[in-house]
Amino acid sequence: MSPLLGIIIGLIVTAVLVYLVYPQKGFLDKWSKGKRDKKKELIEDALKHIYDCEYKGIKCTVHSVGGNLSISNDDAANLLSNLEKMGLIISEPEFVKLSAGGKSYALKVIRVHRLWEKYLADHTSISEEKWHHYAEIKEHDLSPSEVDELAAKLGNPFYDPHGDPIPTADGEILDDNSIPLTSLASGEFAVITHIEDEPDAIYSQIVAINLHRGQQIQLAEKNEKRIKLIAEGDEYVLAPIIANNIAVTKIDEEEEIQSDFKTLSSLKQGEEGVIAGISKAVRGRQRRRLMDLGIVPGSKVTAELFSIGSDPVAYLVRGATVALRRNQTDQIFIKGD
Amino acid sequence: MSTNHDCNNCPVHNLANLKKLGVNMENFDYVVALAGNPNTGKSTVFNYLTGLRQHTGNWPGKTVGRAEGGFEFSNNKFKLIDLPGTYSLLSTSTDEEIARDFILFGQPDVTIIVVDASRLERNLNLVLQVLEITERAVLCLNLMDEARRHEIEIDVRSLERDLGIPVVPAAARQGEGMNDLLSKVHEVATGSYVCKPHRMTSESKAIKKSIEELTKKVVDIYPDLPNARWVAMRLLEGDQRIINAIRNNELEELNKIENAEVQNEQVGEVA
Amino acid sequence: MENKKEALIAESNVMRLKVGENFHDHLIESIYEDAEKIASRAIVKKGKTSTFNLERNIDKIVTSRWFGLPLMFLILAVVFWLTIEGANVPSGMLASLFLDTIHPWLKGLAASIGMVWWLDGLLIDGAYLAMAWVISVMLPPMAIFFPMFTLLEDLGYLPRVAFNMDNLFKRAGAHGKQALTMSMGFGCNAAGVIAARIIDSPRERLIAIITNNFALCNGRWPTQIIIASIFIGSAVPAHLAGLVSAGAVVFIAVLGILFSLAVSWGLSKTVLKGEASTFSLELPPYRPPRILQTLYTSLIDRTIFVLWRAIVFAIPAGLVIWLVGNVTINDISLAEHFINFSNPLGLLLGLNGVILLAYIIAIPANEIVIPTILMLTVMSVGMTGVGEGAGVMFELDSISDTANILQSGGWTLLTGMNLMLFSLLHNPCSTTIYTIYKETGSWKWTIVSTILPVILGVIVCYFTAQVYLLVTG
Repeated sequence: MSPLLGIIIGLIVTAVLVYLVYPQKGFLDKWSKGKRDKKKELIEDALKHIYDCEYKGIKCTVHSVGGNLSISNDDAANLLSNLEKMGLIISEPEFVKLSAGGKSYALKVIRVHRLWEKYLADHTSISEEKWHHYAEIKEHDLSPSEVDELAAKLGNPFYDPHGDPIPTADGEILDDNSIPLTSLASGEFAVITHIEDEPDAIYSQIVAINLHRGQQIQLAEKNEKRIKLIAEGDEYVLAPIIANNIAVTKIDEEEEIQSDFKTLSSLKQGEEGVIAGISKAVRGRQRRRLMDLGIVPGSKVTAELFSIGSDPVAYLVRGATVALRRNQTDQIFIKGD
Repeated sequence: MSTNHDCNNCPVHNLANLKKLGVNMENFDYVVALAGNPNTGKSTVFNYLTGLRQHTGNWPGKTVGRAEGGFEFSNNKFKLIDLPGTYSLLSTSTDEEIARDFILFGQPDVTIIVVDASRLERNLNLVLQVLEITERAVLCLNLMDEARRHEIEIDVRSLERDLGIPVVPAAARQGEGMNDLLSKVHEVATGSYVCKPHRMTSESKAIKKSIEELTKKVVDIYPDLPNARWVAMRLLEGDQRIINAIRNNELEELNKIENAEVQNEQVGEVA
Repeated sequence: MENKKEALIAESNVMRLKVGENFHDHLIESIYEDAEKIASRAIVKKGKTSTFNLERNIDKIVTSRWFGLPLMFLILAVVFWLTIEGANVPSGMLASLFLDTIHPWLKGLAASIGMVWWLDGLLIDGAYLAMAWVISVMLPPMAIFFPMFTLLEDLGYLPRVAFNMDNLFKRAGAHGKQALTMSMGFGCNAAGVIAARIIDSPRERLIAIITNNFALCNGRWPTQIIIASIFIGSAVPAHLAGLVSAGAVVFIAVLGILFSLAVSWGLSKTVLKGEASTFSLELPPYRPPRILQTLYTSLIDRTIFVLWRAIVFAIPAGLVIWLVGNVTINDISLAEHFINFSNPLGLLLGLNGVILLAYIIAIPANEIVIPTILMLTVMSVGMTGVGEGAGVMFELDSISDTANILQSGGWTLLTGMNLMLFSLLHNPCSTTIYTIYKETGSWKWTIVSTILPVILGVIVCYFTAQVYLLVTG
């Protein structure tokens, strides 16, 4: 065998190997995904869709089921008639609705979905845009005991990271008392309670400009073309179609509103600041660790040491020297001096 | 100081009284837990008391898992458990769970909290959390040599008053203050020093009301639980470990133990 | 009672909803508020600023842009130099004691009590020799390296190194502290894996564990040095030989660091993408180290601990090495069967069957790879007058004698180069594998850390061989 041929064969073999084992996109992963129970997934997705319709007060039809699940209308009709035989849905002349059993099944699936999103947000580094995608897969394959274990691990949360209520194990679900962002009047303060994660295109725009749940905002200006709001010292201009996907609750006037704050990363060597808060985008373990290190509102911090490239920077906090990375200090707010 | 006048039991304040037992911990009379932030010289204290040689590195998070050793002081055998160094007991890392579960369910007779005297404020975070869980603790104000080098002065009596537990200035590397620490541990263990641990005071209105309301309900069921407020706070965080402890009667056990000990002490006083 | 409890839990859930998700934040804030009050009452004198300033000024120099990195490289270079230089003499002494004095004496003893030849071979030539080898090569460098490293650690210097290196490691998706676990890995990979405990972020800790093997450990330096001086040094004019072969070894070590960073990056972007990641690095105050205490504890905690694990694995390996050399099927030893069988594959990778077998049976410790290779080469070529017989590992004092054996085994410059590469890129030794399992508690990550370097090694060796053949025609 000539060496040149050897190199070519080697390259081909390596490429095939990489393709086989590459995580998520590779053949092995796809193959294992292919083994998933498609039928069960379709049933669960359909129930979820019908639940969603009822929640929003829309009538659910064969057509909408087909569209939502990306299957043909014939398949959708088949699926619905199967669901009816299983006693999960009830057909009305114009639309379908969930039976009691169907509703509790749908809520179970939604529970897993939202718990999993919460898990991804608090315990992993998966980026926000992907939570929904992973939860869509995971919702179909956790056993009830696994779900309860997961909920316990997360401290039995009430809300998922988007602000949607998580159904309890008994299938109870909290009412949502938030209002659309667009219904706020100019000058009013509010906290973002919910960001709708569908459709993807709009959700990823909201994520991209870094608006997130738990953020305190003030509506600055509102007209038919745009909505302007102030959050964490920055101004955001949104198109109404985007603003419609954000829900808020108004907050008491007495509560301190975050405004005119600088980030910790803006401190220069030797400068001192007082911590005002940590952005709500920092969740779970990350957030707790920062607080353990003394990064809590009211702590005095001094920027002490700048490493090469000014990342990380070591700060003097409550008598200890703690190094933080840029991506952390960008999310920590200090009061201006 | 000891109020006990029977001098057979009275601790002679002399290090000669300390017998390092190493890993030999049979038939111990008291269990002592050792908690503290990383890098406060916790392991040095452990090594000093037990005569063992755990590695003590100038690193956060060095002691992983937990180490045990024994010592004898004033004719009492103590089992000493070195808990992992943590910044907090509330952040649910494995280390913190080990430390917390031991202080809560392990029911140590005394918990020694080691702090760095030159970084007192940061260290108090953990101290206050421990004091929410247990009533019997001794604060070891370690690295006093370093604090002196920086000319930091600490009012030990004020600290003692605020925290409600004995505070012992020490420099474990030099063996300084170890004698005092031992006698305080002994006093707390035998019940001759009764701690009145500090409990949180600065909660914002919003959470204070809820905590108090729920604490009442916890006390209803567990009248003798020493840390009802802490249990209430954990419930408000949805801590499954505590919910399980309620369901499987673990919490009841704690209630009973406290109960029995209170009775013993009363009997002792009468006699 | 049970009802009351359930009612309590239910009640707590209702209230939990009311206090909201910020409860934890509020709680920690109020604890700190209390702490501040108590501390302000208790601290009557805040302390002189000058002593704090001294520490801060040291920190400013140690972490400065221009001075920080050179200082770090200087310190690490001194540590490694002292380790390699300082270990030579005691290693030689131990070797002459264990191999040249005790081994013959044991053989004599066995003969005098009339021990069966195979039991004698199995125990003394197999198990004892492997153990003796591991101790004499492993103990001295570790007994020097670990205390020095521990002193730096106790002093408080190492967190500053992590601080300086974090920017680089962050780009590779890793934690600055990985610079330290890697340095530790240059001493011993098992110790490096244990050292990864200092990284409290799950993802970065796993990365540090999996990539530690790319730090060229103590047991592999001698292999690199001897092969470089035989094959690389001889390929250039004599007056450059020393320099070039030393350069080749350094090149391999640096290549290891690059692989470590590249694999870290790859892992953080693929399989470990989702693992939780939290960065925190505290720079503790400097403290004068206590020399005696440090010597004692680092000897007990690290040196003896690692050595013990190595011995436990070396003894069975010694048995196996002797057995494959002495158990025969159709008058040919197991070793030769395997060598003949795997030789084509070996040649394809620019290696040979002897090397492949050596790396399989010498898995407990990299230190015994060269002795095993020499023994197997002599056996498979059928040389006489060298070595001590089938299944008995040996080493020669003279480099040219060693070169003769290897060349008669068909070794070329390519074999030498690829052995150096494969020595860097192959599975960790069994001590390290076991330690990885202990530390991660996961078979999955243990298997990944074991297989991944082998795959990389095979790929790199294969392409090196093909390119070499292409160039030399």
